[in-house]
Amino acid sequence: MPQMTAWQSYIPTFLRWVGVGGAMVLAMIGLTRLLQLLGVRREAATGYGLVLPWVLGLLIWTLYPFANSLYLSFTRFNIFQPPEWIGLENYVRMFTADSQFWLSLRLTLLYAALNVPLGIIGALGVALLLNQNVKGIGFWRTVYYLPAVLPAVAVVLLWRWMLSPTSGLVNFVLRPVYTLLNIQPLQWFTDPDLVLPAFVIMGMWGVFGANSVILLAGLKNIPHHLYEAADLDGAGTWQKFWNVTLPMLSSTLFYNVITGIIGALQIFVQAFFVDIPRRAGTFFNVLIYREAFSFRNMGYASALAWFLLLVILVITLLVMRSSALWVYYAGER
Amino acid sequence: MREMSATTVTVRTPSLSGRRVVGRIVTYGLLVLFSLFVFVPLAFMLSTSLKTEQQLFVWPIQWIPDPVEWRNYPQAFVELGRIAPGLTFWRILGNTLFITALAMVAELVAVSLVAYGFARFRFPGRDTLFVVLLATMMLPGIITLIPTFIIWRELGLINTYDPLTLTAWFGGGAWAIFMLRQFYLTIPVEMEEAAVIDGANTFQIYSRIMLPLIKPALLALGVFIFQGNWNNFMGPLIYINTTQMFPLVLALRFFQESLSNEAPKWHYMMAMSTVMAAPILALYFAAQNYFLEGLTIGAVKG
Repeated sequence: MPQMTAWQSYIPTFLRWVGVGGAMVLAMIGLTRLLQLLGVRREAATGYGLVLPWVLGLLIWTLYPFANSLYLSFTRFNIFQPPEWIGLENYVRMFTADSQFWLSLRLTLLYAALNVPLGIIGALGVALLLNQNVKGIGFWRTVYYLPAVLPAVAVVLLWRWMLSPTSGLVNFVLRPVYTLLNIQPLQWFTDPDLVLPAFVIMGMWGVFGANSVILLAGLKNIPHHLYEAADLDGAGTWQKFWNVTLPMLSSTLFYNVITGIIGALQIFVQAFFVDIPRRAGTFFNVLIYREAFSFRNMGYASALAWFLLLVILVITLLVMRSSALWVYYAGER
Repeated sequence: MREMSATTVTVRTPSLSGRRVVGRIVTYGLLVLFSLFVFVPLAFMLSTSLKTEQQLFVWPIQWIPDPVEWRNYPQAFVELGRIAPGLTFWRILGNTLFITALAMVAELVAVSLVAYGFARFRFPGRDTLFVVLLATMMLPGIITLIPTFIIWRELGLINTYDPLTLTAWFGGGAWAIFMLRQFYLTIPVEMEEAAVIDGANTFQIYSRIMLPLIKPALLALGVFIFQGNWNNFMGPLIYINTTQMFPLVLALRFFQESLSNEAPKWHYMMAMSTVMAAPILALYFAAQNYFLEGLTIGAVKG
């Protein structure tokens, strides 16, 4: 590979960056002026000018790629030759001829099914503890949220080391248990049956703190008079939790469930850094990445991406439908 | 800090019954237990990064290694330079900061303008556009990834920093626009009306009145964008091939991959992970309120 000095790689990008920024400002001013000349109200013309960057971004970086990837999903495309229309072949192959597809779908769905509820229950527990008028709440909040700000790459390397079969901290700590039960140390990440638990543990470390901070904010928003009213009615701690806290918190929980599911189904960095045994499949985004950028099957990868989108949509819609049963909005009439 | 002083007052009220004391102890006990779940892996990372290769496998674990091997930090980058010539620590830092700075400046400028447009100006189609904006937040990034890669390839800009920095001019994340718009909406309109009467134009109102007022939100957003770009993995992975151009994330991955054939050098990898995490942690401790408030704005108020 060619040697590149720093300036060789910085200056051209910097110049184009200035150019695009300048062009954007000119386009915004130009559009506003043009609309005003065409007789649009000044306020509306300025509004259109201001949102122009986002609208352009929507067209160029969202809508066009969105449509293009749907088209590509019906083609065979290796990026070097033009795409070739093959109809539904990619989708047929996905369901019938790709053993990795089903394994990966299963692993990804199971991961979301375990990670989201466990993460939210743990987070709810922590949030409830923090809501007990504890001293130094700022300190605790800072501590619990900490794993969520760390770079995912550092987190996954750390956990690979923690779960290293021969010398990781986890197996060191579990060593008495292994001796007691007379079993071999667990081969986290390499035993197909243990891949899922290992990822769930790693995922929990990242999410439960972030969720608990959000839930705590939700708890603080519950009006105090509701608890006072419950006290007057002679409600116990549990009754207050079931009849006041949970209903009042349900919209925040709902937000956490939705974002949690969408995030868990798209886990990438964590899975990318761990060599999962083929028998266990892999995570869906890694499957797509591999098809697209390692094997250059851009068409098939697009079909997989569209399938993932449909899965996310269906699950989100199901959760939203079910929300009528369990989410309570105070402002709803 | 605010909450701390407020809670101290309530806790100091006397008349704690025996049962409440037990409750308190259980509460704090659990809080400490959960915080161990956070701290032990971090301590393990730090402690590993300061060990010699032999100390790695010693049981019981030496939490404070003896001797403390500070040399691991420079040595990790020497080892990296051995497999990737020209990729020094300073070069990696420069690459990472270059990407992060350009993306951050462009996104802050663009987002603050777009959000201003959505918050303060009435125009036909605005609310529809805003719903579309919210909907794009649900879209998995992987869908647009391949066509976006093809666009950059057609432009001949693969293996440059352009894909990682130029798109920020288009307003970046929908979430950022949403958050800033919510913030603009909390600012009273009277100030702008007064400025209009004084003959100020839109840009003057934006730069002289609005920007100073939304500074806290911009700082919060800046912190998030910095963190997002610093931690971004997928983008550099797809667009950057030349090793000398690697930002920290890719350097770490390259290091890990090249060493996985030999014995994994966990002390070096933990040293590099610590280097990668340290600036984010420092930023987090310095600006934690911005992190935490930014996080909850969409969840509780939205």
